[in-house]
Amino acid sequence: MIRLESIRKSYKLGKEDVDVLKGIDLTINKGEFTAIMGPSGSGKSTIMNIIGCLDRPSSGDYFLNEKLVSEYDDKALARVRNQSIGFVFQQFQLLPRLNAWKNVELPMIYAGLKKKEREKRAKEALEKVGLADRMYHLPNELSGGQKQRVAIARAIVNQPDLILADEPTGALDTKTSVQIMELFTMLNLEGTTIVMVTHEQEVAVYAQRQIHVRDGLLNRNKQVVVDEGEKLQ
Amino acid sequence: MSILENMKMAISSLLSHKMRSILTMLGIIIGVGSVIAIVAIGQGGEAMLKSQIVGTGNTVELYYMPSDEELQGNANSLMSPFTQDDIKAIETIPEVTNIVATSSNFGNIRNREDTVEAYITGINQSYLDVNELNVENGRNLLATDFLGGSRTAVVSASFREELFDGEDPLGEVIYIESQPVEIVGILEEPTGFLSFGSNDVYIPWNTWRSIYASNDISEVTLQAEDADALQEVGAKAADMLNRIHDTEEAYQVMNMEEIAAGLGQVTRIMTIIIGSIAGVSLLVGGIGVMNIMLVSVTERTREIGVRMSLGATRGQILFQFLVESVTLTLIGGAIGIFLGTGVANVVSYFAGWPPLVSFPVIIGGLLFSMIIGVIFGILPANKASSLDPIESLRYE
Ligand SMILES: Nc1ncnc2c1ncn2[C@@H]1O[C@H](COP(=O)(O)OP(=O)(O)O)[C@@H](O)[C@H]1O
Ligand SMILES: [Mg+2]
Repeated sequence: MIRLESIRKSYKLGKEDVDVLKGIDLTINKGEFTAIMGPSGSGKSTIMNIIGCLDRPSSGDYFLNEKLVSEYDDKALARVRNQSIGFVFQQFQLLPRLNAWKNVELPMIYAGLKKKEREKRAKEALEKVGLADRMYHLPNELSGGQKQRVAIARAIVNQPDLILADEPTGALDTKTSVQIMELFTMLNLEGTTIVMVTHEQEVAVYAQRQIHVRDGLLNRNKQVVVDEGEKLQ
Repeated sequence: MSILENMKMAISSLLSHKMRSILTMLGIIIGVGSVIAIVAIGQGGEAMLKSQIVGTGNTVELYYMPSDEELQGNANSLMSPFTQDDIKAIETIPEVTNIVATSSNFGNIRNREDTVEAYITGINQSYLDVNELNVENGRNLLATDFLGGSRTAVVSASFREELFDGEDPLGEVIYIESQPVEIVGILEEPTGFLSFGSNDVYIPWNTWRSIYASNDISEVTLQAEDADALQEVGAKAADMLNRIHDTEEAYQVMNMEEIAAGLGQVTRIMTIIIGSIAGVSLLVGGIGVMNIMLVSVTERTREIGVRMSLGATRGQILFQFLVESVTLTLIGGAIGIFLGTGVANVVSYFAGWPPLVSFPVIIGGLLFSMIIGVIFGILPANKASSLDPIESLRYE
């Protein structure tokens, strides 16, 4: 489903080019739950942004569902983000002035769905994350875990093939993290491909596959280590 | 994403900063409001001036302006432009329906011990057909008064005030050039801002003739059946008089169309001058809108990043902010139209002319506000739409 071929990304800082990604080759199959791990600044978020079509690689090819999206223009990328990808961020990124329901509605507005359909689907998505009774609450009236669940409802409401979560439990306590990871597991079981960045081993074990990034390269020696016993309880 | 959806979003975002939104709108409110008020007041005033100067009775005035040679030939001629024979001659022109002949004099009028100065006008019966002399108390001059030259007069309300201190003057005798005349009617007080009350005394022309012992008619006004042919009929009459008096171009017809056009020019220039002042205020208002929208874009950088990550295209972000600035100026414009109409109505009420806030002016005002919103919203909206989604999501 996702195929990265010698992806490089460099930023110009002053006169120097800083290489953040130095040639990433990665294939993720449909239905996989993958965790990307690595130290801070190693380039995890940069990989996620490229996979999420928020950013373009400096060189290399990115195929999403066999389509070379690294060549798409801005408008086509926006459409891919809207239809095929759901984002979950560490900082939740809910719009503070909109209630839970309106936040979940946003991707459907950009998809051009009718109001009736939007209402129905937003409700279903909030039910799925267990927040049917918080539809009309503003983000600042919700706990961290509830906010993240609203964000997940928003990510799944357009029924994307792929969920990208960049440190989704980074701002949550252990107990809440478990609930969020169980939600991801459920979504994965329903067939959604999930790619998640984390640096917590206890969180990473929910994934079937772990990928380690170091200094802009994948660490080939440390892959697919899944030990059920390490899962946090 | 529909316009309506965007409008709702824009309104809710404007409502979340009520004070700021109102202050931002102020420039637009003042600008649009003053444009509306000025246009309405200008049009009302112009209509009023035209009807006062040109008159509404489809009339045209003949006037006498002899050349220097003609004056030297007959030194008396300046004082007595028209004669009764002239009137009879003009009556033969078939298109002429009414000939208003008046003679006037400024002089002292006495009642018992009191004396005032007044404008005494001798009028013929046609005068009443063309001009409105609304009698409030007593009666108007009648056909028999005109025919016999009876010693009767109709006086203006301010004349009554001055000479009779507001007491009932009906039946009182006043002396014009030491000759007694009875007051039979009092005119209504004139309404309106530009018509100040003056001391007027109207008497039948035949009476005027006998009091002043003069056959002279100082003003002749024609009314024609067909208003469009008025100038032509007037020119015909002037030609006729020039032939009778063997003058070159001493008798002429007042070109009311030209005067009206000139008047229109004056009010138009005034409207342009004051309008451009209002335009400057709109410009300042527009810059205010741009400024606040730029602030708003910066404040909502993260929101823009989130929307982009959820699939908003750059065009949709641009449109969202454009709708927001247009909503801002449109609401400001609507309030401005409301206030401007109010001001125009108040001014018209005190000035006594019709308020002329027309439908096209309101539509024009709204359209104009929208255009201001687009022009001054395009820069902030463009800034919003060209933000980088990743940096925007990271923005604190
Ligand atoms: N816009 C940018 N300009 C310059 N350097 C950047 C930019 N974005 C990220 N970087 C650098 O790229 C590196 C990788 O960043 P990131 O992918 O966010 O790391 P991670 O998510 O693994 O912590 C960091 O060293 C960061 O400073
Ligand atoms: Mg990161």
